[in-house]
Amino acid sequence: MSTPKHIVKRAGHTEEYDERKLYASVYSACLAVREPAATAELVAEKVTGDVNRWLANKHEVTSYDIRRITADSLELYNRDAAYIYKHQRNLG
Amino acid sequence: MAKRSNVYDYDLIAIGSGAGGGVAAHIAASQGYEVAIVEADTIGGECPNYGCVPTKALLTAAERYSVAKDSQEFGIRSAGVSFNFKKVQAWKNLAVKRTGTQAGDRAFAAEGIAVIKGRAHFIDKHTISVKAKRYRAKRFLIATGTHNFVPDIAGLKEAGYLTHRQAINLERLPRSIFIIGGGAIGCEFAHIFNSFGSKVTMAEFAPYLIPREDKEVGQLMKAVFERNGIEVHTSTRVIKVEVSGGKKIVHYRSGHKNGVAHVDEILLAAGMHPNTDLGLENAGVKYTQRGITARDTMQTSMPHIYTAGDVTGPYAFTHTASYQGRVAAHNMFNRQKVVAKYHAVPRVVYTNPEIAAVGMSEEHLKHQKIRYRSNAVAIDIIGRANTTGEMTGFVKVLVSRSGILLGASIVSPSAGEMIHELALAVNLGLKADDVASTIHAFPTWSEAVRIACAGI
Repeated sequence: MSTPKHIVKRAGHTEEYDERKLYASVYSACLAVREPAATAELVAEKVTGDVNRWLANKHEVTSYDIRRITADSLELYNRDAAYIYKHQRNLG
Repeated sequence: MAKRSNVYDYDLIAIGSGAGGGVAAHIAASQGYEVAIVEADTIGGECPNYGCVPTKALLTAAERYSVAKDSQEFGIRSAGVSFNFKKVQAWKNLAVKRTGTQAGDRAFAAEGIAVIKGRAHFIDKHTISVKAKRYRAKRFLIATGTHNFVPDIAGLKEAGYLTHRQAINLERLPRSIFIIGGGAIGCEFAHIFNSFGSKVTMAEFAPYLIPREDKEVGQLMKAVFERNGIEVHTSTRVIKVEVSGGKKIVHYRSGHKNGVAHVDEILLAAGMHPNTDLGLENAGVKYTQRGITARDTMQTSMPHIYTAGDVTGPYAFTHTASYQGRVAAHNMFNRQKVVAKYHAVPRVVYTNPEIAAVGMSEEHLKHQKIRYRSNAVAIDIIGRANTTGEMTGFVKVLVSRSGILLGASIVSPSAGEMIHELALAVNLGLKADDVASTIHAFPTWSEAVRIACAGI
């Protein structure tokens, strides 16, 4: 069983990492640029996988880290969705 | 004695316990500051555990074996000389053990330095998290080193490869090995494996080996390696790797020609990348693909966060890392700052013959459009070459128009020792005449340095 990952939010409090939230935000960013739902699912899965791998050797990171790594990964699959993800705060 | 601040847990946290972090932590602790050191891997870092020390111990064993085996011309009967690779490894392990890094925690603790095991991640500019525990410090030193660069070669990951970290600990020698990269690490391992009888093939992307040095150095080493049975391909790119019949099949392209090598192992020595994945963005520390951006005071873009060693460059040597650690440690606690200077950094590759250089290379001088004069002498003209029978090599010096030494390259036995005379001269801005007018003992390899300087 993997160790829980702690995310330090901008306000300073800490939350446990929830990959479902990440998946949903990437999925929404893809839909926002009119990707078909099936592609959006695939991209969201890949990006979530990339972020999970990046997190594997870490215990505590910031929400800014998660956004940055997610945007970098999403950029590889869909640049427009990455732009939307970076510039809209409440996706998903 | 500095007092522990109420705001911070430590006056300094060094991230990385290698030459850069270890030296800075030691200096700070010796001045009474509260210091912690964070280490994600092995105490002591790359050099004593995976780099300089184990490779030089293996190179020494390889050298002893070659000398024992090939001394017939001196009248020594050496038929039947063999080696036990397990004992070679035991020798290497002894050399690593003698560095004392295995007891590194205790050594740091004895100095009052707290050792925190784990991976550091910046949460903000004064806070790191290690295993979800927060530590705050007034100052930081980032000395996290590098990791192997893995080129995007089709099939490489699937086929599997060694890095220098695995190569130093092999229990059995591969019968054949393909080395990707002809820089210092690639050349040293080529020499080790070749000396112990492995069939070695090397591929270097640049037109010559040791591409950071003058091309004569790499050209001569290619000739030496080929004479020793190593297959060297320069201007070569590895295209893909396959596995078949228990062998790794390496496909490469040299110019317009394609080649294939069937080998037991592949060693990756294609360069290193800085370890910058530690939340630097959260601390406002700027970095690029080449490493952490540092001023010559070793301060990063955040003045209270310093850096040293391979993670910042410009060199990836233990001696530059410890130098930068000293500069950083001074500047952290003194208003009067000192700056790091790199004009006389000695660079050594421990092949046979050794390669050593200091200061500017000829390519660098040309690139910078600096007018210079050069002189090179072959080492076979000096007495020491005559008495040892080692004739391969040269000393080349580069001087300004007024004769000030700007740089030098040496390929010679003991080049790594010889270079320091020239490093001192370059550091102090001496002229070639100053070296030439200094009496050098006969017969020593260093006579070649004097002759090269005299002929300029």
